[in-house]
Amino acid sequence: MLIFMVRRFGTMVLTMVVVSLLLFLLLEINIGSVAIKVLGPYSSEEQRNIWLEANGYFEPFYIRYFSWLGNFITGDFGDSIRFKVPVGEILWPRLANTGILGLATMLVVIPLSLVLGVLAGMKEGSNLDRGISVGSIVTTSIPEFASAPLLSAIFVFYLDWLPGTSSMASGFSLVQLVLPAMVLVLYDFGYVTRMTRASMAEVMMTHYIRTAVLKGLPYKTVITRHALRNALIAPFTVIMLQINWLLSGVIVVEFFFAYKGFGALLLEASLTKDIFMIEACAMVAVFVAVATQTIADVGYTYLNPRIRFA
Amino acid sequence: MKKEIKDENGKRVHPYVPELCEQLRKGELDRREFLRTATLLGVSAGAAYGMAGKILGEPMVKEAAAAEDPKMGGTLRWGMQVQEMTDPAKFDWTEKSNVARHIVEYLCRTGSDNITRPYLAEGWEASDDLKTWTFKLRKGVKWSNGDDFNADDVVFNFTRWLDPKTGSSNIGLFASMVEEIDTGKKDDKGNAVMGKRMTAGAVEKIDSHTVRLNLNSAVLSMPENLYNYPTAIVHRRFEAEGGDLSKNPVGTGAYALAEHRVGDKAVLKRRDGYWGKKPFLDEIVYVDLGEDRAAWLAALASKQVDGIYQFDVNQLDMAERLPGVVVHTATTAQTAIARMQMDKAPFDDKRIRQAVQACMDHEKLLQLAYRGKGAPGEDHHVSPIHPEYAKLPVQKQDYAKAKKLLADAGHPNGIQITIDVGNTSGKWELDAMQAFREQCKPAGIDLVLNVMPSSQYWEVWDKTPFGFTSWTHRPLGVMVLNLGYRSGVPWNESHYNNPAFDKALDEASAILDVNERRKKMETVQSILQDDAVALQPLWRAVFTATSDKVKGYSTHPTFYHQFNEVWLA
Repeated sequence: MLIFMVRRFGTMVLTMVVVSLLLFLLLEINIGSVAIKVLGPYSSEEQRNIWLEANGYFEPFYIRYFSWLGNFITGDFGDSIRFKVPVGEILWPRLANTGILGLATMLVVIPLSLVLGVLAGMKEGSNLDRGISVGSIVTTSIPEFASAPLLSAIFVFYLDWLPGTSSMASGFSLVQLVLPAMVLVLYDFGYVTRMTRASMAEVMMTHYIRTAVLKGLPYKTVITRHALRNALIAPFTVIMLQINWLLSGVIVVEFFFAYKGFGALLLEASLTKDIFMIEACAMVAVFVAVATQTIADVGYTYLNPRIRFA
Repeated sequence: MKKEIKDENGKRVHPYVPELCEQLRKGELDRREFLRTATLLGVSAGAAYGMAGKILGEPMVKEAAAAEDPKMGGTLRWGMQVQEMTDPAKFDWTEKSNVARHIVEYLCRTGSDNITRPYLAEGWEASDDLKTWTFKLRKGVKWSNGDDFNADDVVFNFTRWLDPKTGSSNIGLFASMVEEIDTGKKDDKGNAVMGKRMTAGAVEKIDSHTVRLNLNSAVLSMPENLYNYPTAIVHRRFEAEGGDLSKNPVGTGAYALAEHRVGDKAVLKRRDGYWGKKPFLDEIVYVDLGEDRAAWLAALASKQVDGIYQFDVNQLDMAERLPGVVVHTATTAQTAIARMQMDKAPFDDKRIRQAVQACMDHEKLLQLAYRGKGAPGEDHHVSPIHPEYAKLPVQKQDYAKAKKLLADAGHPNGIQITIDVGNTSGKWELDAMQAFREQCKPAGIDLVLNVMPSSQYWEVWDKTPFGFTSWTHRPLGVMVLNLGYRSGVPWNESHYNNPAFDKALDEASAILDVNERRKKMETVQSILQDDAVALQPLWRAVFTATSDKVKGYSTHPTFYHQFNEVWLA
């Protein structure tokens, strides 16, 4: 188990190093364009050179890379060009906002989809199963960029029930969280439901469930005691992957509802060529991706007794 | 020598003013153009309105359209990107200046009616050759830190703008106050590296409240330049006190910065001791609604904001249908041009450029891409709303001519050309080019559209052989032509180089009399149109929207905000 953990952790670090190298190559190899982005298009050649000199840009490439990496590990991401403050000051609150949105989404998605998935998977082919399956396929097939305007048209413009944007300009507001969370739930719950359903249906076909039913156990006990634990292994991994999806999937939603989150930040950083912000955002996204993957793998081995490492 | 003319107060009047009055009387000049030119020459706006009223027999002040009394108080919430606001001289987005415009002020102010009025300067005079401009500064103006506003502030700002170390775009705006110098350094090829510096004596302090600008060449639009958004006047110790307006917001304006969070919001509160008329609003809050314009309208519809910075033409139907929302339209000289670089194949052949031009049906493109809101373009980048605009014969789509030109140029079977489209001013650009692609087909021209993100387009806008570039509004036609089409100027993206054009433009730019200038413009416009380097489908109108509670607001053609006259019902 320890070796497995170390190996997983090693892969995680290696992935991040490779990504950091790629990022650095893409964004910082041309030092002239870095200076233009930082100092603006009207800056003079002389100013740019002074800035490059002062910030060590005339050092060899590998030295620059390692000092950049060192700063990064210690949490010094540089100053944002757009915001004119250290990247961290903007990045962490934005990430927390996305965390809030993600949490709200997950709080609805997990119970909803597990219940629906289990209900559908208990009796494959029943009317209930058909209904839930079709419903979840339909909602999952509507991408966020379509459902967001649709829901907005209904709840903002037609019914006038909900606010149209979620900028939280005058402090946190739960009602502003409803629409963005609704769009994410609508898209995501169907997928997790389908996965749970498939897993549940598979478990219900196994011999030990048949045995349990045949030996006369109440149906409720069969489901809660025997089927559920095994059926929930697959959804667990899927849910862990959803956290990663949320981080990138929210870009559309945050952009549409003007929510001040990580996704919108990454998009705006790209549009305004705020390179130090892009670098930090990209590394955070990669970190979340590999970390959730690692947690999912480790958790999977814990939940599934058939996977054991001596 | 010309006779000195003085007004009732003994103030010297520019010798051209009586001529202007005469033209207005004869109807050679409309009221608007009279007001614009007269105020440019130093006549106060009030006096100019008075003269126009006397001559035309109209009441001096128009009766108020609505008989509502403005109400004091309230918070105006406006949806607009909140960007960093460090240094007004280095502003590169109007949004930055909109927050700052309530804190720091300008020497002159160009209103939504395109007329420039005194502001921190209470008046100005131009010499007959338009090379010396004297600005009288308003007395009794106090900075928010208690200091008196005076000539030192203005001299400090000019000196700072024109120092290349500042990195301000104003150095280009006031090119007539700057000289080229040899820096003594050599570049890689051994050529001398040239630098710029302010001409000695370009800014002169006459007394505590008078500043004189001495230019190297005649400039007609000096007052208008002084309302260009990076020319806000900051305090004379701006740099010594940190050089950051968002951290140390000292200004002469009516509002004080209470809170400023980039990407989030900016809060302005009315301050006591403002020199001018007390504004109505207690507070102005700018709310950052991201970059998605659909979200802006949604925020307005659900009453989260009272106004939005702008919206696109394709949202017009929706905006007009929203209950309680008023749409404001401004006629502008904003446009986009499909410009071809005349030194890159195949566009180095004038016949090919003209063949592409002959395919364009401007009126149709205006209808298809911009809902007919605006005016058809004429491929010479001078707008009908520009005072010196000369009417040329209407261009006609002519496929026979296009085919013949192509055949003559050695492409009897047609040609494929690629245009870069960046949608930098909205998706209408792509709509226009898609429609134009269809218009090109019958002539055998296969117009390939290379669509790219706007940020990417701004990296190639002056490099690509064929691209569709958006241009903002400028009050005078000659201003745009001098910036974009004169041989060798930095923004000459079509690499246009025609000595005959330069000469004609020189002549036009030196003429104050609009009617005379218009005669010269006919030549200028014809040359540019005939050379077909810049195909221009349309002039576009721009749109903003507010809630019906917002009163006293009118959209500025360049979206400049100043809410001193705005009030909430």
